[in-house]
Amino acid sequence: MDDPRVPELAPHLSSAGVFLVLRRMRVPLIVLIVIFAVSVLGLSLVPGQNAQGRPDRMDLFESFYFMSYTATTIGFGELPNEFTDAQRMWVTLTIFLAVIGWAYAIGSLLSLMQDQGFRQALARRGFTRSVRRMREPFLLLVGYGNATKMLARSLDDMGRRFVVIDNQEARVSAVELDSYRADAPALRGDARDTGLLTLAGLGHQTCAGVISLAGDDETNLDVAMTTALLRPDLPVIARSGSRDVADRMRAFHVQEVVNPSDRFGDHLRILLRSPAAYQLMSWLTSAPGTPAPRRFPPLPHGRWVVCGHGRYGEELSADLRAEGLEITEVHVSGGRVLAGEGDSAQVIESGHVSDAAAFVAATASDTTNLWLVEAARRANPDTFVVALQNRRANAPLFSAIGVDFGLVPAEVIAHEVLARLANPVLVRFLRQVPHQGDDWAAQLVDRLVTTCGRGTPELWRIRLSRDHAPALVGRLDERSLSLADLLRDPADRDDTLDIVALSLFREGERTMAPAGDLVLRVDDQLLLAGRPRARSALATTLTEVPTASYVVDGHRVPSSWVFRRLARVDSAGRRR
Amino acid sequence: MNLEKVVFGFFVVLAATLNFGFFIGDLGDPQMHSVYELFAAVVVNLVATVLKFGDRTQMGAVHLATSLVASLQLLAAAVVWTYAANVLTNGGLSPTQTATVVSLSGGALFANIVSVVLLVVETVSFQRR
Repeated sequence: MDDPRVPELAPHLSSAGVFLVLRRMRVPLIVLIVIFAVSVLGLSLVPGQNAQGRPDRMDLFESFYFMSYTATTIGFGELPNEFTDAQRMWVTLTIFLAVIGWAYAIGSLLSLMQDQGFRQALARRGFTRSVRRMREPFLLLVGYGNATKMLARSLDDMGRRFVVIDNQEARVSAVELDSYRADAPALRGDARDTGLLTLAGLGHQTCAGVISLAGDDETNLDVAMTTALLRPDLPVIARSGSRDVADRMRAFHVQEVVNPSDRFGDHLRILLRSPAAYQLMSWLTSAPGTPAPRRFPPLPHGRWVVCGHGRYGEELSADLRAEGLEITEVHVSGGRVLAGEGDSAQVIESGHVSDAAAFVAATASDTTNLWLVEAARRANPDTFVVALQNRRANAPLFSAIGVDFGLVPAEVIAHEVLARLANPVLVRFLRQVPHQGDDWAAQLVDRLVTTCGRGTPELWRIRLSRDHAPALVGRLDERSLSLADLLRDPADRDDTLDIVALSLFREGERTMAPAGDLVLRVDDQLLLAGRPRARSALATTLTEVPTASYVVDGHRVPSSWVFRRLARVDSAGRRR
Repeated sequence: MNLEKVVFGFFVVLAATLNFGFFIGDLGDPQMHSVYELFAAVVVNLVATVLKFGDRTQMGAVHLATSLVASLQLLAAAVVWTYAANVLTNGGLSPTQTATVVSLSGGALFANIVSVVLLVVETVSFQRR
């Protein structure tokens, strides 16, 4: 709790469970004590007999001993002496009383254990404790839908920690079932409650960011606002379904707003312009280790039929019109199959699908999309079919029906958030990709596959500053270091490291896929893709003088001071 | 009038009075200390302790603490009494044993007095508001 503005945890939240038990157990415990006291006292007062059959009484200790084993139904018999009839009458009464008392107390305790409120209090307590124990950076995930699930899986693969809040019990239990490598604390609750966000670690000093991908916009907006106000230093990524909400989020300086429906149009536009660029972008943003996706053939540029509903369909049509396509819009009311109103034949007819180049089914319901695709295929088997796949679980249906291009919003969101988290520079690079042309993108994909292998390459950024590349500063100042020299292998400088330079950022200017003979300068930033081994090799070139000297100039420089004196070289590795 | 407060006050005061009744008298004289009074004090103290469960206020916490002290002391006194009467001497208690039991209950009495003081303070501060 470093930030004083973060509300302190309310003290009652942490020990609520214990107090609830104590409070609810008051009456059963008192009943039990009273029954016991009356039985013991009564038994010690009732006339009894001793071993010789003379009148005597049991003392308090003997009565207590007898009642203890009788009331708990252990029953050792009549001790220490055989009972008189008067004692037996009293014991009969107390047995019934004691059984009732115990049944009541144990029953209350068991029903308390079953109690929803109590269990939630316990769950909350455990959650708070495990969040407080987090010692490494973690992300706060709000909502645990399809997109968050995919994101969480990738985060786990990358070795990052996270905390989950969702308002549905089933989803919270799904976090446990999904069995991540690291412990992922999850709690059911409304994320609009600031106290709950605080419990989930909003005020924690190692909290690294908040990602709100809940189903409803209001929650996302609320979480984004709360975070922006209480922890302005934390990055927030929020999903929004509408432009209004996105604008409101941006008003709170939330820079990263993800709008899945907006992205469908964007993806189609990129795909229309350059299938290779689309392939490159979707590969670089996919989960670690994913092989390169297949490249789509060029999309038909004729008349497109767009089936959507409401503003969303209009936006999609506008996006596609901006690419110079002729668009026929068909509105499907509410995205539902309505008898008479949304008859498939009617839709196909009004859209003139039979001579259209492509057909887009983009309603909010997968069922509607499926029957639209089916009807379009029947009317025109050659048409290119695009479908919005709202639920990931329906993917087999769409592939069975033969969709040419399908987009799953959950996947899009997960990929985008992952890209933003893993590498903010990558996002800026990706924005430039569609403007580079199809051939450029195709070449880059081929280069990446040949140098880095089939899996998604590791992406990272280096800064050739005095702090980050101390071994190279002299050469950078002299402007004698080319990119190709930098990427030579420290093990054998005739080999090149398995690294592809994606972009160079210099004084506000960006060079995409810089060539090998480009001369580097101080404070240049490079976005690189490559194998993990190459990454560590490059790191030694940047920081170790002997390595840098060998890699760049081909000199083998002694690393110790004495031998350096003997070889007459200075600390930067150059001959005097 | 709040019935809960009546019951609560009743048990707190009764615990103290029974404890006092057992404690008073010559420290080492078994004739002056009735075992039934000790029994009653233990039972009433346990009830008073349970009544104080689950109160989240600061005052409630101190109340519970004093009652726990009193109950523990009285239980210790009862155990000593039982052991002395049934295991060591088989019958009456010696003056030393009686003194141990009664002084233990004296400690409990002090805790009970604190409890009563707390009750009075709580009541007085409530009326001032």
